[in-house]
Amino acid sequence: MRELYEQLKRLFPLGEYTEQRRDLAFVTVPKDHLRPLLIHLRDREGFTHLVLLTAVDWIEEGRFQLTYLMNDRAGKRDLGLRVLIPRDGAAMEGIHDLWPTAATYQRELREMFGIDFPGSPRVNGEFILEGWTGMPPYRRDFDTKKFSEENFNHRPGRATKDPAKHMKDKLYPDEA
Amino acid sequence: MKIRDILSPFTVWKNLFRDPVTINDPVRERPGAPRYRGFHKNDVKKCIGCGTCETICQNGAIDMVPVDGIAAKEGDSGLRPRIDYGRCCWCALCVDVCMTKSLTMSNDYQWIDRDPDAFRFTPGVDKKKWDDAELGYTRPDAHRLTPEERIHMQELGPETRIGSFIEIVKGYSVDEARKEADRCVSCGLCVATCPAHMAIPDYIAAIRDGDYERGLKLLYDTNPLPEVCGRVCTHKCESVCAVKHEGDPIAIRWLKRHIADQVPLDKYRAIVGAAEPATGKKVAVVGAGPAGLSAAYYLARMGHAVEIFEALPAAGGMMRYGIPEYRLPYPDLDKDIAFVKELGVKITLNTRVGKDVTLDDLRKKFDALFISTGLHLGRSTKVPGADHPKVFQSIDLLRRVTLGEDIYCPEQAIVIGGGNVAMDIARTLARIQTKKYGKVGVTLLCLETEDIMPADREEIVESREEGVVLRPGYGPTRIDTDGDRVTGTRFVRCLSVFDENGRFAPRFDQSDEIAISGAMVVESIGQGMDLSYLPDDLQKQIVFERGRPKVDRHFRTSLPWLYAGGDIVQGPDVIHGIANGHAAAVGIDIYLRGKMEQ
Repeated sequence: MRELYEQLKRLFPLGEYTEQRRDLAFVTVPKDHLRPLLIHLRDREGFTHLVLLTAVDWIEEGRFQLTYLMNDRAGKRDLGLRVLIPRDGAAMEGIHDLWPTAATYQRELREMFGIDFPGSPRVNGEFILEGWTGMPPYRRDFDTKKFSEENFNHRPGRATKDPAKHMKDKLYPDEA
Repeated sequence: MKIRDILSPFTVWKNLFRDPVTINDPVRERPGAPRYRGFHKNDVKKCIGCGTCETICQNGAIDMVPVDGIAAKEGDSGLRPRIDYGRCCWCALCVDVCMTKSLTMSNDYQWIDRDPDAFRFTPGVDKKKWDDAELGYTRPDAHRLTPEERIHMQELGPETRIGSFIEIVKGYSVDEARKEADRCVSCGLCVATCPAHMAIPDYIAAIRDGDYERGLKLLYDTNPLPEVCGRVCTHKCESVCAVKHEGDPIAIRWLKRHIADQVPLDKYRAIVGAAEPATGKKVAVVGAGPAGLSAAYYLARMGHAVEIFEALPAAGGMMRYGIPEYRLPYPDLDKDIAFVKELGVKITLNTRVGKDVTLDDLRKKFDALFISTGLHLGRSTKVPGADHPKVFQSIDLLRRVTLGEDIYCPEQAIVIGGGNVAMDIARTLARIQTKKYGKVGVTLLCLETEDIMPADREEIVESREEGVVLRPGYGPTRIDTDGDRVTGTRFVRCLSVFDENGRFAPRFDQSDEIAISGAMVVESIGQGMDLSYLPDDLQKQIVFERGRPKVDRHFRTSLPWLYAGGDIVQGPDVIHGIANGHAAAVGIDIYLRGKMEQ
């Protein structure tokens, strides 16, 4: 995989490289170089299959990370391309014209992270969240605990104890 | 109706005789992937019941529940997590955050039961078939939600610090303190271990929020000497910190100091509040050490008039006359004392009870008494030569250094003892020697081997860095003298300090003798109390237990008006003294209010 990275580096301005396994590595790519790199990988390097497209919310840095995982079936290896985009007004050029399945991932990312892919088919349609009006739930500032407490009941008979208070009751009940 | 509508259901019958297109696949073993996140497992012996799993669970699926056979003890709440699988989403955040790595997940995910409540159980306690599953999800080592390393504390290097008594530990900056506070998981296991039961997670949270006023108020709820404790507390809290299991414990002591350092004294009263209206009752406190100051502070808060009688020229007791300035600078001690005085406590210095004023006088003038006179008498090894004038008690020397006296300090000195006080005098002598002779010549010997030396680890490390020679595992047999000079001391190898019952009973190998040369010997093997100020008739009325006055939970002695606390009751420790003083103040308040109602 390192060899491939060295080759690609001559053609594209690549960023950080991490090799997770002998057959799985990740490369950071500037936003504008993603499309030519994907085409190059598909047409020249055998990475014909888009395994998945997903995102990570690096809220502290104010960025989303998109990960395009590509598979080279003949070479039995995977390469993940990481693209960092600003979190504010998050949008990215779609790749549904290269892999039609990408449209589904893009629709999912639009719904779960609020990342727009202008021109992607039905990108604004509901995907799995029906009637969702709040903040996209995979954003890190979404309060999952609050949502679960508001929407799901507790089974009757549950009770919990605070460790510090329980220790006071058991170990030093008479002290101030 | 058409004929077809009547017949069509029967056309289905013909399919009965065809081969089915589906295959028969009953529920059978379909093992999860090796790292599948299935039902939880918990090693309940490793688990400390910190409840961090409950806190992180985004589904409110975890309750902390008491378990038969697991009692609450220091560092373990005795609670264990119970999981409601009706709410669990198998995200494994609980496993990732687990402070001890006791909580894991098996790769078992199949379980059928008609009782919905069966899906609420306590892993590791309620036996399940996957308890011994080898596969499943455990937190990968590199994967941490809380940083395991303590934020580095800036300290003076040995070369710099040996030349002066300047404080070694520099204290955290606001940014460093916030980062360190951020590592705390607010479980509160430390609160039970702290003798004063300080609201540790709450004041750490105040640092996180940058709210130092709230932090200071929380400190004063249980401890009126935060600058002192933030520097020299024995910090037992850190020994039970949940974070210590998979990393460095939170620097609780340094964080406490950080709060007190951030708030100027002139703001204290507005933040902590003034005293309650005067009750007209008067309390005398004997000794201005940590216990006396603490009792005085809380009594004054409750509206009682308090006067402290102190034999020495300044308040603070061992905090001033025992602990060296490089560990606790006087201005910081003075800041804590100043606020006690600001609250209306009167401190009468240079007044020794039993000599300058009698206890009977105090009893007549005050409604209640609190005695906290500490342990200021050094114990002697009583070996031949120990009565020589060049053989000193560490506690006397430390006091004389604070008083500004020029103490006898030759180029070579011998310190006997392995506790923190021995370290204090050894390092003090090392500093004086450096000033006088430009080099250190201190040899410290103690009965204990290094692994069981009572001194704090950092004291051992730092004294070595400063050039003190440590010879653990030796007991003195004779101090060699020559007229008015001490020439050295002979020691024999100590084989063991305690007997099999844990009682002090040192055994020696007399054939393994060493001679250490030095022109002075300092004994630092423990301290005793001087209660001669208590008149004989009172001494007879007070019940003693193993040489210490016996007290109830309010630190009242056998006499209703006499309370005692601090080192004379609980042995040498600042934070215990502070806790005693507070508890005694509560007791005295109850006693005085009872008298007011009569």
